[in-house]
Amino acid sequence: MRALGRPSTTVPLILSLILVPLTVVLAFVWTGEDVDQGFSQKIFYLHVPVALTSYAAFGYGAFCAAMYLWRRDPEWDLRSYVGVHSGTIFGTLVLLTGPIWAKASWGVWWNWGDRQINVFLILFLYYCAYFMLRFSLDEGERRRSASAVYALLGVGLIPLSFLAVRIAETLIHPTVFTSSGAAMPSSFFLTFLVGLAGMLSLMALLMAVELRGKRTAMRVLELQRAARGEDA
Amino acid sequence: MIGAALAIARVKLVLELRRREVVFAMLLFVAATIVIVHFALRADDGAGPRAAAGMLWAAVVFTAVLGLLRAFAAEAEEGALDALLLAPVDRAAIWLGSALAQFGFLVVVEVVAVPLWWLLFFQEEGPAPLPVIAALLLANVGIALVGTLAAGLALGARTRDVLLPVLVLPLAIPLVLAGVTATYGAFGEEGGGFGPLGPLGFLALYDLIFLALAWGTSEHLLGD
Amino acid sequence: MTLEECSKRFGERLALRKATLAVEPGETVVLLGPNGAGKSTLLRLAAGLLRPTAGHARIDGIDAVDAPRALRAGMAYAGHRSQLYRGLTARENLALHARLHGRALDLDGSRAAVGLADRADERIDGFSRGMLQRLALARATAHEPVLLLLDEPASGLDADGRTLLDHVLLEGRGRRTQLVASHDQDLPARLGARAVRLDTGRIA
Repeated sequence: MRALGRPSTTVPLILSLILVPLTVVLAFVWTGEDVDQGFSQKIFYLHVPVALTSYAAFGYGAFCAAMYLWRRDPEWDLRSYVGVHSGTIFGTLVLLTGPIWAKASWGVWWNWGDRQINVFLILFLYYCAYFMLRFSLDEGERRRSASAVYALLGVGLIPLSFLAVRIAETLIHPTVFTSSGAAMPSSFFLTFLVGLAGMLSLMALLMAVELRGKRTAMRVLELQRAARGEDA
Repeated sequence: MIGAALAIARVKLVLELRRREVVFAMLLFVAATIVIVHFALRADDGAGPRAAAGMLWAAVVFTAVLGLLRAFAAEAEEGALDALLLAPVDRAAIWLGSALAQFGFLVVVEVVAVPLWWLLFFQEEGPAPLPVIAALLLANVGIALVGTLAAGLALGARTRDVLLPVLVLPLAIPLVLAGVTATYGAFGEEGGGFGPLGPLGFLALYDLIFLALAWGTSEHLLGD
Repeated sequence: MTLEECSKRFGERLALRKATLAVEPGETVVLLGPNGAGKSTLLRLAAGLLRPTAGHARIDGIDAVDAPRALRAGMAYAGHRSQLYRGLTARENLALHARLHGRALDLDGSRAAVGLADRADERIDGFSRGMLQRLALARATAHEPVLLLLDEPASGLDADGRTLLDHVLLEGRGRRTQLVASHDQDLPARLGARAVRLDTGRIA
């Protein structure tokens, strides 16, 4: 398990310290006010990068789960857990910032017509169930493989949730299927990219720190067992 | 593989015929759920086809969970899972066979539940039956496949009975979304959308994706 | 069949500690030891039903948990529970087992072997512990395994049953590899088998 190496905390720490404040500065100083939404649109630079980062973390968790089932190295299980855990932390942030934005632009806290946030709600429930599964099994092989199998189901659930919400939507508002994007000034887009990079580094930092903590805890457990004379 | 799965499914259906432990409870449960939601929505005051469609699907999904709670109960009694795991058959057959049995239970439940739902909600104008039946059958496949996998995951857990609904329901949300859309659509002219991106096409896609995912991982969930 | 420094941990409890054991093809080994010594864990590891926390359990050089179907076809394990379906008859249980092993049901052979007499078409919910144990033994031996793992097969058996069990084990001696966990201190002598003692998860 040591073969997988130590994830660096220095690089993501420096990057987050630069990029996250930079996003705030750019968002408030450089980019102009959005024509439609005005000042409240600023939350876009936080909300959307956080959401995308959260997906990245879930994807990483699923990838490590697959690696665990293939290699059976407990390190992959730890990484998968850390990925899902960080994804859920960022997901909580999405579910908090989403309603703030919704309140500002639509006047309601929860907009059931907003596709993204509804998908997130499904995923959030699903990943909360992951933790419940994980913590009702005793530490060991069984827990690791069950967690990995469940985390892998997310690979199917994420795209299917998007599709399902979209299909259900066409019935409520039987109109638009326009591809969004396009009409965004380049300053908006650049700031968004900086925000995304900042959030990704922040997540990398969180995951590295948590992984170190988990490894230390495992090492302590091993040492305690060794001290009791149980060397396995 | 398929032969072994069928043999396991047959055993489970025979056991259910003899003991009537699960399906009868599921029938009472689905009837009670439909009646409760009927009263909760005051559907007789004209809750509309959307509410009616949603109700049917909520009742079906919750009832399915009830059946899944007993998915491996017969194996638990005398440790029959060990014998199945050591048999020279693909281990996915254990999951597939159990899923087939769950599918059968769901079909029996719906044969009773759907007419009851129809009777309570629509005296005259109901949805076109064909899309509704197709959607239910496709959704049964999905929930049986995913649910049996989740039931296998929950097997070793201390809190298995509370855990299983929590594991299954989020995975079933897309099914409910598409199922309700198909049912609601069946009231209209277009008849529910059989197209590739319509709700029925989506249900088929869901079944295929989770068939592949569950098949690939079911080897890992039993034993240990 | 070999165990190499096999350990198994359940939560914080270490059930087996670095157990090393080699059973030669055709050899019969009796595992002795008090309750909780780790006999059952060792057998389940050997059968590939558990994955070792550390070390390896191998059959013909292949990790038991990953045993391919061809290898599993020659294995049998009977534990504390009968591994049967309670709602089925004895015949149906054996038929399922035969079906999964791709064999024809040989009820006469099995019945003769374990003295099931005329109860083959009775549902096994009504069977006594001893009858269940006999049927479990019939199930485990029906597909003529080359590796037979038995966990306290004598529990619940009457005197006749025990004689029958001894007969099955004696008959299998030299023809298949047998690993039997038992409380019966005389069993190794009766079978002319090697005895291995297990205590608090260690092989003594």
